[in-house]
Amino acid sequence: MKSFVAASLLSLLPSVFSKTVTYDFNVTYTTANPDGQFERRVIGINGKWPIPTIEIEKGDRLVVNLVNGLPDVETSLHWHGLFQNGTNAMDGPGKVTQCALAPGQKMTYNFTINQPGTYWYHSHIKGQYPDGIRAPLIVRDPKGPYAKKYDEEVVISLSDWYHDENPPLLAKFLSVGNPTGAEPVPNSALMNETQGMPFHVKPGRTYMVRLVNMAAFAAQYFWIEGHTMRIIEVDGEYTEEAEAEMIYLTAAQRLSFLLTTKNETTKNYAIVGSMDEDLFDQIPDGLNSNVTGHLIYSAARPLPEPAFVDAFEPFDDFTLVPFDGEDLWEEPTYTFALEVMMDNLGDGANYAFFNGITYVPPKVPTLYTALNAGNLSLTPEIYGRDTNPIVFKHHDVVELIINNNDPGKHPFHLHGHTFQLAYRSDVDAGFFNASDESIEFAKKPMRRDTVLVNPGGNVVLRFRADNPGVWLFHCHIEWHIESGLIATFIEAPDVLQKTQTIPEDHLAICKAQNLPVVGNAAANAEDYLDLTGQNLSPAPLPAGFTARGIVALVFSVIAAFIGIAVITLYGSQELKQKKA
Amino acid sequence: MVNVFAVPVFFIVFRESLETAIIAAILLSFLKKTFDTPESDRAAYVRLRRHVWLGLIVGFICVLAIGGGMIGAFYRLGVDAWAKSENLWEGIFCLIASVIITVMGAAILRVSKLQKKWQEKITKALQAPRKETTVGQKLEKYALFILPFITILREGLEAVIFVGGVGLSFPASSFPIPVITGILAGLVIGFIMYKGGNMFHLQIFLIISTCFLYLVAAGLFSRGVWTLEMYEYGKLVGGDVAETGSGPGSYDIRQSVWHVNCCSPGYNGGGGWGIFNALFGWQNSATYGSVISYNVYWIVVIAYFLFMYFREQKEFSASAQSDSDLEADNGKGVVGAGKNAVAVDEKSA
Repeated sequence: MKSFVAASLLSLLPSVFSKTVTYDFNVTYTTANPDGQFERRVIGINGKWPIPTIEIEKGDRLVVNLVNGLPDVETSLHWHGLFQNGTNAMDGPGKVTQCALAPGQKMTYNFTINQPGTYWYHSHIKGQYPDGIRAPLIVRDPKGPYAKKYDEEVVISLSDWYHDENPPLLAKFLSVGNPTGAEPVPNSALMNETQGMPFHVKPGRTYMVRLVNMAAFAAQYFWIEGHTMRIIEVDGEYTEEAEAEMIYLTAAQRLSFLLTTKNETTKNYAIVGSMDEDLFDQIPDGLNSNVTGHLIYSAARPLPEPAFVDAFEPFDDFTLVPFDGEDLWEEPTYTFALEVMMDNLGDGANYAFFNGITYVPPKVPTLYTALNAGNLSLTPEIYGRDTNPIVFKHHDVVELIINNNDPGKHPFHLHGHTFQLAYRSDVDAGFFNASDESIEFAKKPMRRDTVLVNPGGNVVLRFRADNPGVWLFHCHIEWHIESGLIATFIEAPDVLQKTQTIPEDHLAICKAQNLPVVGNAAANAEDYLDLTGQNLSPAPLPAGFTARGIVALVFSVIAAFIGIAVITLYGSQELKQKKA
Repeated sequence: MVNVFAVPVFFIVFRESLETAIIAAILLSFLKKTFDTPESDRAAYVRLRRHVWLGLIVGFICVLAIGGGMIGAFYRLGVDAWAKSENLWEGIFCLIASVIITVMGAAILRVSKLQKKWQEKITKALQAPRKETTVGQKLEKYALFILPFITILREGLEAVIFVGGVGLSFPASSFPIPVITGILAGLVIGFIMYKGGNMFHLQIFLIISTCFLYLVAAGLFSRGVWTLEMYEYGKLVGGDVAETGSGPGSYDIRQSVWHVNCCSPGYNGGGGWGIFNALFGWQNSATYGSVISYNVYWIVVIAYFLFMYFREQKEFSASAQSDSDLEADNGKGVVGAGKNAVAVDEKSA
């Protein structure tokens, strides 16, 4: 009896010690000029920008009361990297796990976070976060494996910055005037949403630096002159310590490293972020791709300009080993491949495709369809053709192969999971060939939630379908989200139906906007297999000669023949006259 | 082949050298008829014939010198000023070329009219009343030099200007061969006419070449419109559209009537499709503008030639009528003939 009481007391302990952290967020416009070049309207929170970094401890409950104070556009928040196991409705992407908040609407995000690490949060409505609604979300871990190895924690965010607001950039990007799909190039790079960031350090101490790339587009090379970084975490997963001189961080990736300062304070050092210009179709005149901050030992000493580097030779994250030493998950029970390519559709704009499908949001949020479809929830078709639905069974070991049939680098992100990076090919290796025996998978693969895929290359990812829910898998270049590089993973919807429900205030958001909350992707609640009226992508380009073209060509040929006949008639008149 | 043979250039040079050849032929046969008779002055005939040839040769050399300079200047200007909006200028020059060819093409079909026109003019010039001044005498003395000299100078410079205008849309390498062949073709036909060759075959040849001429002009017209549309599209896209090859993005889908991802006349030199484009205005990517303009062009040409056909038929039957009426009503016939002569003079002036 005593032992029983002790056990139940123990089980109560976490809830006794863990706390609830509440934020009231009113999303509003404000103005900012972070690169000192151009003052512009930005999306802030409670009238301020940059928006607050959320800091919380592992096991805490996070409550965010969100009000959309924007007068003209929708919003929603996604907690990038958090698994939301059991709280799929809190994940945030519009038309996937909720309806977006119309101007003036409110809702509450409420969930417990049991993952330590470096995350971030941002709007997950089309193209919105580059306008400013993005910030780090730190889950501290006082009992973590490296907790005793550092004295202080610091967060450094990297980001890219546009002088134009996203909606007009997006309209131009996804239009007939941009047939090559050239992504808008940022105007500046930022560090902690500013330039010239100071990082005051004391000598002989060790800092844990949490690096977050919150960019819309640009990956960045990052280094600190004169210092070596010891990587200990990527995307919320602890790794074995690994030394790096330079780091490459794609949009949406995070990484923590230990930085031990020098013992003398005679000199300050440049901290450099440099946008990867390979991503840009063309480098505009006058673009400064670099952002500089300073590791300041002594405020009295000068702040050095960064030195030139001969070549970018960043650390390869593939070589990292997870701290828990977990082996590669063997024998996948569900293997599939996604082929990435870009092409133009009938409206002349350039779209991005997974296996020939470019994402178009459904009429009903996919999560709501999954919860209401009964036994049909395991049938991918009900989620709509262009949501690119893929259904996993509970506890499937999933092997996902990405074949990048595009000459660009892509950072792919999976909601609700970290995955093992079993294999990553070099540039232009082509499609993954399972029968190629020279390919070796990592034995203890690094896990993360956003992975770089090389141009023309492939990766092999593995993860366990242990988190029932609806999870997006997409490229985290914001432009490619707009052009449709998204697939929807529906994981164990049968289990989901038994364990999760939608909070009333979420449903109220939809209802107030007269948006359907039941039914398939076409909002048909009577017959889930009837998808008449579902949202579809523009028609493909007409192939060669259509009826219209043939008619035009025939008419042109006839016109030419009649013309020749009339000329001949006129010309032969002279013959007759001569004879006469 | 488009890079070494600009079809419009050929036809322009052909047309102008044909006119020059006709004039030379008329002069030479006039001399032959007038002076190459047993009773006439043999020495004078040789001298006057030399005058004609000298006029032609000196004129030709002048044309080469002046024309060469003009073409050179055209190109230097063109490369500097027009390189940036190449599509704009190509479109405009295509339209100009099309109009020039269209307007002067009809005359080729009426080579006998051309011949008649010049015969009348030359006769008039040579038979003009003698002015008893020294200058007049001197001029008259060299009339057989001056006339061919002026003719070749005028026709030649006309050709240079036309070729220069048309030619800016072609690479420089596409000039020499059509210019040389155009001159040769003009000379051959002039020679046939001089020798009094088979005018029936000649007329058939002229009909065929005129048909080609108008096919080229129709293609040029359509291409001009197409290129102007591409210029607008290029401004929208903000890059070199041609760089995207012939696939998606190389054309404006909103204007597209047909598009095949091959057979582009512009990409990688165009190959056979380039010839197809030069002759008939082929596009692998047709637009509403290019198709409509092509058809409208033909409708206008058809209407014009039908009008001319019926008018001439009327005139022809009227003159045949007046010929037969000549005996009955002498005055009427004379007035009709006089009118014709006046009309011809007005045109040539």
